[in-house]
Amino acid sequence: MVKSQNLLTEVESKELLKKAGIPVVEAKLARSKKEAISLSREMGFPVVLKISSPDVVHKSDSGGVKLGLANAAQVGKAYSQIISSVKQAYPEAGIDGVSVQTMAPPGVEVIVGMSKDPQFGPVLMFGLGGILVEILKDVSFRIVPVTERDAREMIKEIKGYPVLQGYRGQKPASVPALEQLIVKVSQFVEKNPQIKELDLNPIFAYPDRAVAVDARIILE
Amino acid sequence: MFQEKLKEFEPVFYPKSIAVIGASATSIKAGSLWVGDLRSAGFPGPIYPIGTSGGRLGDLEILPNLRLIPGEVDYVIVAVPRQSVLELLDDCAAKNVKAVHFFTAGFSETDTHQGRKLEEQMLEKARQGNFRIIGPNCIGVYCPEHRIPFLMGILGEDGSVGFVSQSGGIATKLATIGIARHINYSKGVSFGNGIDLDASDFLQYLAADPKTKVIGAYLEGTRDGTRLFKTMRKVAEVKPLVVWKGGGTEAGAQAALSHTGSLASSAAIWSAMLKQVGAIEVNSLEELTDALLIFQQLGRGQGIRAAIIGGLADGGGGNSVAAGDACMENGLKVPPLSYETKHKLSELLGEVGNILCNPVDVSQAQFRGLATLFQAIDLVVGDPISDIVLIQEDVEILLPIYSPKGVEEINEFVIELGRMQSKPIVVVLPPSSVEAERLQIEQKLLTASVPVFCSVERAAKAIYRLNQYSRRQEAR
Repeated sequence: MVKSQNLLTEVESKELLKKAGIPVVEAKLARSKKEAISLSREMGFPVVLKISSPDVVHKSDSGGVKLGLANAAQVGKAYSQIISSVKQAYPEAGIDGVSVQTMAPPGVEVIVGMSKDPQFGPVLMFGLGGILVEILKDVSFRIVPVTERDAREMIKEIKGYPVLQGYRGQKPASVPALEQLIVKVSQFVEKNPQIKELDLNPIFAYPDRAVAVDARIILE
Repeated sequence: MFQEKLKEFEPVFYPKSIAVIGASATSIKAGSLWVGDLRSAGFPGPIYPIGTSGGRLGDLEILPNLRLIPGEVDYVIVAVPRQSVLELLDDCAAKNVKAVHFFTAGFSETDTHQGRKLEEQMLEKARQGNFRIIGPNCIGVYCPEHRIPFLMGILGEDGSVGFVSQSGGIATKLATIGIARHINYSKGVSFGNGIDLDASDFLQYLAADPKTKVIGAYLEGTRDGTRLFKTMRKVAEVKPLVVWKGGGTEAGAQAALSHTGSLASSAAIWSAMLKQVGAIEVNSLEELTDALLIFQQLGRGQGIRAAIIGGLADGGGGNSVAAGDACMENGLKVPPLSYETKHKLSELLGEVGNILCNPVDVSQAQFRGLATLFQAIDLVVGDPISDIVLIQEDVEILLPIYSPKGVEEINEFVIELGRMQSKPIVVVLPPSSVEAERLQIEQKLLTASVPVFCSVERAAKAIYRLNQYSRRQEAR
């Protein structure tokens, strides 16, 4: 658990990103089981539930994420499980409730992050999701402001680039859509210097679009 | 671009007069050396030694204070301990000096409060007195055209390569390697702590300077990364900018990204920045000077398809294999010669098979005389499958086979070939047991604008970088 006053919740982060024109899977906060079920019906099944707490950074580590919930009964059960396992893992954590969002269809997983370099200021990072970024450190960086050309180069620079072009029957990812997303993130952080760190992880990339499935913003 | 910098930097690179503070008639001081170096170099304006000893340095009177100089002073070199620098700056202001270079060290680089405080005060005095500071902790300006040497009298020929260096040691190496390899500089500067004029300022000037065609830089860090980033982006648009970033460990952890923690290191951010601005990143002094040499000699790349003429006399064999590998591994292409060229070569040399493919083995010419060798080289160069030709000359094998006169003719032919057609020729001259002869050939080729490298690896890297710039310009 990271205790951070400045960590925005997923719902808050995605609201800001959406306003900036960055495609996100919209998430809404449910403060009760009942609310979670009604939001799920509104959004359409299957849905994903995630713990919403300013004190929990790595949500899935503490049993705070439930995927692919297909009906109201499953949503109700998942709500209770999430609350109880997070309380057990982090008894001190303040819990707002649970965020509800539709389950995005599977795509190529990529991540875009921003942090501040002491010499060059905001720097964007791009990489493929999962093992490629965590173990192989296959990522690229560019200094903000990132132009379309910079974005294209940073996408093509990673060793895992062929994965974006589709492999073993997986559909390719739209590079132009990722370019657009990166440029918009660059514009967003340029306009908001109070953002200290930003993490879109994962982003699902499809043949025609890309959308951030999870998002996290930390303010200065 | 940055045209206003030309006037601003006129007193820095073309001062009409120079004063050196810290000269002595009685003991050996850096200031005295500087005065001597400027005089021997033939600096075209008045030189004023300043020091407390009184007396003379040669025929120059050592004055006790800057204010006593009869004429105007553009540029001041300070080589006295840091305790007295603030007073000196008052003298500079009173004398209406344009630029002050501090050889003096012992400021922020010592990481003390006192050092940093002193720098702040110096900067404040410079702003008030309307002059610029170079350094402190640096060896300042190098301008062969205006006869300004580096310390110890290092002065090469005037040319078209500009450089900036945070380090005086690296700046000196650039200058001396330049003298050895005919890399001729328009201007160079070591700016040390860069409290006023820093890398960005000098890069802007070099971008505007009509004498400078290619720019090299050695950097360790920056006080204003955003400005450096923006400056480099503009500079690299108009001139090739080759950058060697030394010391990649600082602040790596802080630069790390939120989720991925330690993934980001400062070195990775610098590499990304250099790529982003369109600069050419190199990783050593050798790579930096190799790149500057090839940009100076060839200007721009015409493509990365290399024809390799291996072992002029000893045959290709393992050398050709290694040469082919070295080119491919460093990003070049080594396409086979056309059928027509191979056919003609085999008629000429009486050989068949892959040795006439690429890399090409023309060693059989030694039994048919120089004219045949030249014809063979002509055939390879004329084949449109390549954009550039590498010729490997192993001097210790060539000498006994062709005699010194024959070797001279071969190199004259190579020079002529370089002049006569537009496809660039690069010569690889590996170190040998006949260094004196090898160096003589190297000098002759370099003087005639043929780039020379001591290994195929280094040649290939330099060729790749030359083309990296051209391709980026074309994609613009």
